[in-house]
Amino acid sequence: MFSTGSNLWLMIWPASWETIYMVSIATVVTTLLGVPLGVVLVVTRQGHIMANKLVNRLVGLPVNFIRAIPFPIFILFVIPITRVLTGTSIGPNGVIVPLSLAAIVFMARLAETAMLEVPYGVIEAAISAGANRRQIIWHVLLPEAGSGLILSVTILVVTLIGYSAMAGLVGGGGLGDLAVRYGYYRYRADVMWVCVIILSFVVQALQNFGEALARKYNRR
Amino acid sequence: MGLIDIIGLTKNYGEGAKAVAALRGVDLSVEAGEIYGVIGLSGAGKSTLIRCLNRLETPTSGQVIVDGRDLTAMSEAELRLARRDMGMIFQHFNLLSSRTVADNVAFPMEIAGRSKVDIMKRVMELLDLVGLADKAGAYPAQLSGGQKQRVGIARALANSPKILLCDEATSALDPQTTQSILGLIQSVKDHLGLTVVLITHDMRVITEICDRVAVMEDGLVVEQGPVFDVFTRPRHQVSKAFIEVVISRKDDSGAWGYVPRGLLTQVLFLGPSAEDPVISEVVRRFEVKPNVLQGRISHIKGRPFGIMLLDLTGAPEDCRRAVEYMRSLNLVVEVLNDVQHG
Repeated sequence: MFSTGSNLWLMIWPASWETIYMVSIATVVTTLLGVPLGVVLVVTRQGHIMANKLVNRLVGLPVNFIRAIPFPIFILFVIPITRVLTGTSIGPNGVIVPLSLAAIVFMARLAETAMLEVPYGVIEAAISAGANRRQIIWHVLLPEAGSGLILSVTILVVTLIGYSAMAGLVGGGGLGDLAVRYGYYRYRADVMWVCVIILSFVVQALQNFGEALARKYNRR
Repeated sequence: MGLIDIIGLTKNYGEGAKAVAALRGVDLSVEAGEIYGVIGLSGAGKSTLIRCLNRLETPTSGQVIVDGRDLTAMSEAELRLARRDMGMIFQHFNLLSSRTVADNVAFPMEIAGRSKVDIMKRVMELLDLVGLADKAGAYPAQLSGGQKQRVGIARALANSPKILLCDEATSALDPQTTQSILGLIQSVKDHLGLTVVLITHDMRVITEICDRVAVMEDGLVVEQGPVFDVFTRPRHQVSKAFIEVVISRKDDSGAWGYVPRGLLTQVLFLGPSAEDPVISEVVRRFEVKPNVLQGRISHIKGRPFGIMLLDLTGAPEDCRRAVEYMRSLNLVVEVLNDVQHG
């Protein structure tokens, strides 16, 4: 059934590394920018420690806007920004920018949801102990939401792997792109199968790892 | 001037026509070293009141003066320092679930920037004080409700505050655990010379440990004074209703559907009068037959007092004189079915 061409693994390895490269950099960038944005979304809510309707709206607006645009269109739409940031609009580096930009807002919402799980009474206990806002965010909000945030990052990584499959649009490479170009257009069923199997194993493993880590940090 | 003076305190939620008044002009004074209880039903404003004491809520108008300083006029930074002099415990404990017992107690000291060595020493001291030294490494989820509140108390005391605020601290606990937590509050108060302000909807909490009480209804303090006085001579309807919960007069007499033949009379024996043979003296002096329906001894902060429910039968004039006689002995006598007998 498989026409196991000698070049199969020669294609799979570089494609795997491309996926790992794109997804890991995008994960780091997205987490570092998305979580703080999530913090802003939480603390500026009505009745929270820095309640501010205007800021909450202003931050929330692009979050909803970007989420409304289908990802392939978004990749093409942000090409000018991509060029400025990475000097190229093609290849893995051309994908990391749209991937991160789109995922930051996604991550912000995930982090917001995780932090809203922290009972406000716990924050009030910190306030009555004399904590300032910075201390509340660093010593209460983030650690108390820790297990939820780990799950959020897990969902983020899995989503990024999925989105990275569309990288082929700008020649980004990766396993998803390989599956489309060889597995589909060149009828290489073996390439298709190997890509699908690797991706599903990786996603499954990441999900299990994330959940185990979240359980370890969940003391509730 | 007390340690805490509340002057003309009001608090509205919302603005304009939709505003809801939670406090409508509360004046209170809490003396240093006392346990001051505020009792009221849900929505009476007691929770808002205690949250105004450390400005978890910002009052709409009025002043909160603690130790001579007006909390309502403080900047955020001044307020944070002032809060370190006031520990607070909560109905739902509000412990940090991601930290161990020891780290929860350490939290206010970390916030205050104290040294690690200092903190560790103080944490062990506090856990000893609340009887949880063996649980230092446990997480809150592994503790019972009573143990969680003990951690809450240790945390509240971490920065050696002068004042302890208790927001329905025993309302989520069973009666036995409530007793032990109240005992702990009383003992840390005596041990550390604290001033305690607590709010509750449970009159038993008030009679168990409070020195003075304020009764709240609809955003106002309707009655206040020493617990013994308010308990034995309540003036306001709300106070009477709370007291009835403790002596459960209505529940018992209503339960067996007793129809009094004479004057249904409640007699409170206070202090030394509880030891005199009053009833036999009444029988000897007047042509009345008291039928004892209920009698019990209760305690208010360790002071005993007796409650007796009598059905006094006899000529109306004799019954009236018997009641007057008992009143002359300084007993608190209330005729409960006064309407029929004029």
